[in-house]
Order: sequence, then structure tokens, then C-alpha cells
Amino acid sequence: MSSRPNLGSVIHSEWIKFRTVRSSITGVVLTLILTIGLGALITSTIRSNWASRPELRRAVFDPVSTSLAGTLFAQFAVGVIGVLFISAEYSTGSIRTSLAAVPKRLRLVAAKSIVLAFVIVIVAEVACFITFSIGQSIYSGVVPTASLSNASVFRSVLFAGLYLTMLSLIGLGLGLILKQSAASISVFTSLLLILPIITLLLPQSWQNNIDRFEPSQLGQAMMSPSPAAFTFGAWTALAILALYSAGIVALGSALLVRRDH
Amino acid sequence: MISVEHLSKRFKKTVAVNDLTFDVRPGVVTGFLGPNGSGKSTTMRLLLGLDHPSSGHATVNGQRYRDLAQPLHEVGALLDAKAVHPGRSARQHLRALAASNRISPGRVDEVLDITGITAVADKKVGTFSMGMSQRLGIAAALLGDPGVLLFDEPVNGLDPEGIRWIREFFRSLANEGRTVFVSSHLMSEMALTAEQIIVIGRGRLITQGSVDDLTAGAKGVVYVRARDSDALEAALKSQGATFTAESQGFIVESLDAEAIGELALKAGIALSSLTPQRASLEEVFMDLTAGDVEYSAIKHGANS
Repeated sequence: MSSRPNLGSVIHSEWIKFRTVRSSITGVVLTLILTIGLGALITSTIRSNWASRPELRRAVFDPVSTSLAGTLFAQFAVGVIGVLFISAEYSTGSIRTSLAAVPKRLRLVAAKSIVLAFVIVIVAEVACFITFSIGQSIYSGVVPTASLSNASVFRSVLFAGLYLTMLSLIGLGLGLILKQSAASISVFTSLLLILPIITLLLPQSWQNNIDRFEPSQLGQAMMSPSPAAFTFGAWTALAILALYSAGIVALGSALLVRRDH
Repeated sequence: MISVEHLSKRFKKTVAVNDLTFDVRPGVVTGFLGPNGSGKSTTMRLLLGLDHPSSGHATVNGQRYRDLAQPLHEVGALLDAKAVHPGRSARQHLRALAASNRISPGRVDEVLDITGITAVADKKVGTFSMGMSQRLGIAAALLGDPGVLLFDEPVNGLDPEGIRWIREFFRSLANEGRTVFVSSHLMSEMALTAEQIIVIGRGRLITQGSVDDLTAGAKGVVYVRARDSDALEAALKSQGATFTAESQGFIVESLDAEAIGELALKAGIALSSLTPQRASLEEVFMDLTAGDVEYSAIKHGANS
């Protein structure tokens, strides 16, 4: 009747699943709006306040990361997309249908991760390059601008998109581990927002060593052309974040394989 | 062909399935019966590789489910009709499922047709009635044209017309040589649908066999009536028979119709009715599972 199902067929299946629920479509649209819209808003505000900006702050101004600031909001949208891609299967009970159709559970996770990463990397890169370009044209004439022909600028914009992609995978991994949408989204948000607050309570010397391991700090390091004090270089930050997302997805996969459904 | 051998599943405190062994043959509808909480659904999940067995094994066509290369082509299952993302249309749901096993979109249209839900195929599943969801679940089970079909409580929530449809449908699937395994907690329903019955209680096998064997094996009762009711009662008592009065006559448990007839002749009583009554499958089931019902109403009697 047909040839043997393989990873490709499961990827096809997951792609149909992804594009046929409203939450994914809403999430993708939200990612674009937040990245580009808030990017435009933030860069416009900087432009109109530029004259009143203190000299010292003008000197350290980074036109790249400021134009990518919309990603600080879009990161929650991509996280929720990742969480819901798996947690909705648990909340509706359709995980059983999925596992009966694909009893090789690791293959199911692999297909989901590939579809999610593929969709988000495209959406996020498009959003980041657009918001960068819009930001620079808003800055143009008043605020210093940056050009993509500069390798470290190009890398910053590219890595901003990769940052969002990794975060969506962390969302997927958390959804696999916790199975519940609300719990997973809470933990995801806490990793980005609460963790930095907790480290504020630590002694300064500890903060300097610990802060840079936080996902949001890794993101900042990835999307700045030159690293700030007490942060990793962009490539190291990318590697650490990749390790985080791989680790969380791996833990979720191990649980998926062991658990009864 | 389904084979379950010494299958056990222990959860933290409870034993859901306890050393279960049975085979389900192709070509007939096999009913899987037991009170609620007796381990039917757990057994189904073990068969589908969704739960890991504590010991023993379950195989389909000689293989563990997870080793099947094309699972939907070998086994179709309906566990919970409502376990579908409510935001997807029926067609999208089936397309995604089909794609995972390389089944063509054309087959999706076919199963929509077979189950009679083509007209609502593009509506969101969340708007479906229970009956429509059951049909969608059956459509999903049929996608790969499998030789083995599992249905967990498929009659729940169906209207009478749907129930009649599903009964005939199961029989036609079996007549095509497929293995059809249907669980239910309603014996009366299974009596009409299944030829073979497997009865479990508290995770243990209680009995299995054909519906005819099970009812034949159970002891029947005889309804007897005479115009001279008192004389008949005295005669029955003289034989030490166990009986109860019912609708102007008696239900006799310990004597068969022949013995009662002779007894009446000797006593000179004219009988106006002598009717052997075969136990219904429902009664057999109640008898069999009486000790194995997890939550019996009688237990609560003392407190209420």
C-alpha cells in the first residue's frame, strides 16, 4: 500500500499539526509583531530622545542590540509556541493517538523539534533582519547606525534569530517535562524574568559569575556586536544556550520514553 | 490476532492488570468485559505500547506494538473519542495522522465516507457531538486498513441509531477477516455485538468463551405456575427445592423442568405454565463479577 514510515513522514505529520492549530499561527504572528513593532517603537523613542541623552551614554550606545530589543518580548511568544506544541497534546489527550501512530517516541520528539526549530528560525530571522533594517533607517541622520556589511553586526542579527529559536526549543522541552501548559509557561517565564531577580540577592562577585549563565544574559551577549563586561563572547553564549535547550529537550525525551501514557 | 501472556501492570498502590492471558482471534467480534475499573483500558493501553507492562507481554500479529514498522497498517485503535485537538478540523486531524504512517490523503476521504462524516469533515472537532467524535475516532482507526481493531467503550454517548450502525459495522469488519476487540462494561450491549467474550474483574481473567457457551454453562431457572398454587408450593417444599414466588407462580432454581413436571404429575397438580428460563448474559456477568466489582453499592450500606 505504501512504503515504510520514517522520520520524514513524522515530520510531515507534525508540520500538518503545527499549521492547523490557531495557537501556532497566533504565536508566529505575535512573534513578528512584537519583534518588528516594538523594535520600531523603541528605536523611534531613542531617536526622539537622542538630543537629551547624556554624552557618556551616547558614547557606549549600541545601535544593533537596541534595534533588536523587540526580541525581549517576542521571546515569550516563541516559548509559548514551543510549550503548546506538546502540552496541547497532553491536555487534549491526543498524545495517545500520536504515540499509537508513532510508537518510536524519540522519533516523535525529533520530528517535533525539527518542525518547531525550522519554523521559528525562519520567522525569527525574518523578524530580526526586518527590525534591524527598520531600526537603522529610523536612527539614520540622528543616531549612529550600523551596517550588515560589518561581520559582527551581521552575526548579532543572525544570532538574535537563533536566540529565539533556542528559546522555543526550551519551551518544547519544558512542555515535555511538565506536560501542563500553565506550569510550563510559568517555568519558562521564571527562567527569563525571575532568575535575574534572584541573582540580584547574591553578593556582587557571585553575580558577576552567575548572571552571564542566565538565558537572557546569553541572549544579550549573542545579539551585541561587542561583548559587555562579565558576559560571554557571542559564540560561547550560543554554545551554552544550545546546550541548555538540548539538555532540556533530552530530559523531556527521556521522560517521554519512560512514562506510561 | 492479539496475544496477551501473563500480562501484569502494577501502579504505585494498585494492581491494574494481574497475570492476564488470552488470545483474540480474527474473524469474530470479541467483547472485552468487566466492571468499571477492572483493567480493560489499561490492557488496551498495554497492547498499544502506551503503558509499559510490569511483567508479561502483549503482542499483535506476533510482535510487540512498538516494534511494528507500520503501526496504523496493522492496528487501528479508538481509546478516547474526545482526545482530539478541538481546534483542528476532522480532515486535518486525519491528514496529520495519515501522514505519520505515509497514508495518502485519498484514504482520508475514504474513511470519512465510510464513517459518514464527510459533511462535517471541515468543521472544528471541538464542535462535534459525542456521536460524531466516535465516528471520527473510528475513521482514524480505519486509516491504515488494519487487520486488528481495538475499540475502548465505543458505544458510550451514541444514540440508538449510532449504536445499531456500530454493531453492524463491527460485524462487517469481523466478516472481512479482521480481529475486532471491543471493550465494554455493559454485558447487554456485548451480548448483541460480540460472539466471543473475555471477562475480567480486578485485572484478572474471570472467564472466556463464546456467548452461547457462557449462557449455556450458567444454571438456568424454571418458571412454574399452577392454578392450585398452595399444592404446588407444598410439593416443591417436599422435594426440598429452592424457589421464590413470582407473578402467581414460582421461580425454581434447584430442579429442572422435567423433574418439576414429574413432581406435579405424582402430586396430581395441573400445571398451567412450565417454562425453562435461560440466564441472560447480563445475569451471568453479574454473577461472575459480583466479587470483583471495585466499588460495590452493598459496601456502603452500613454507613448510610
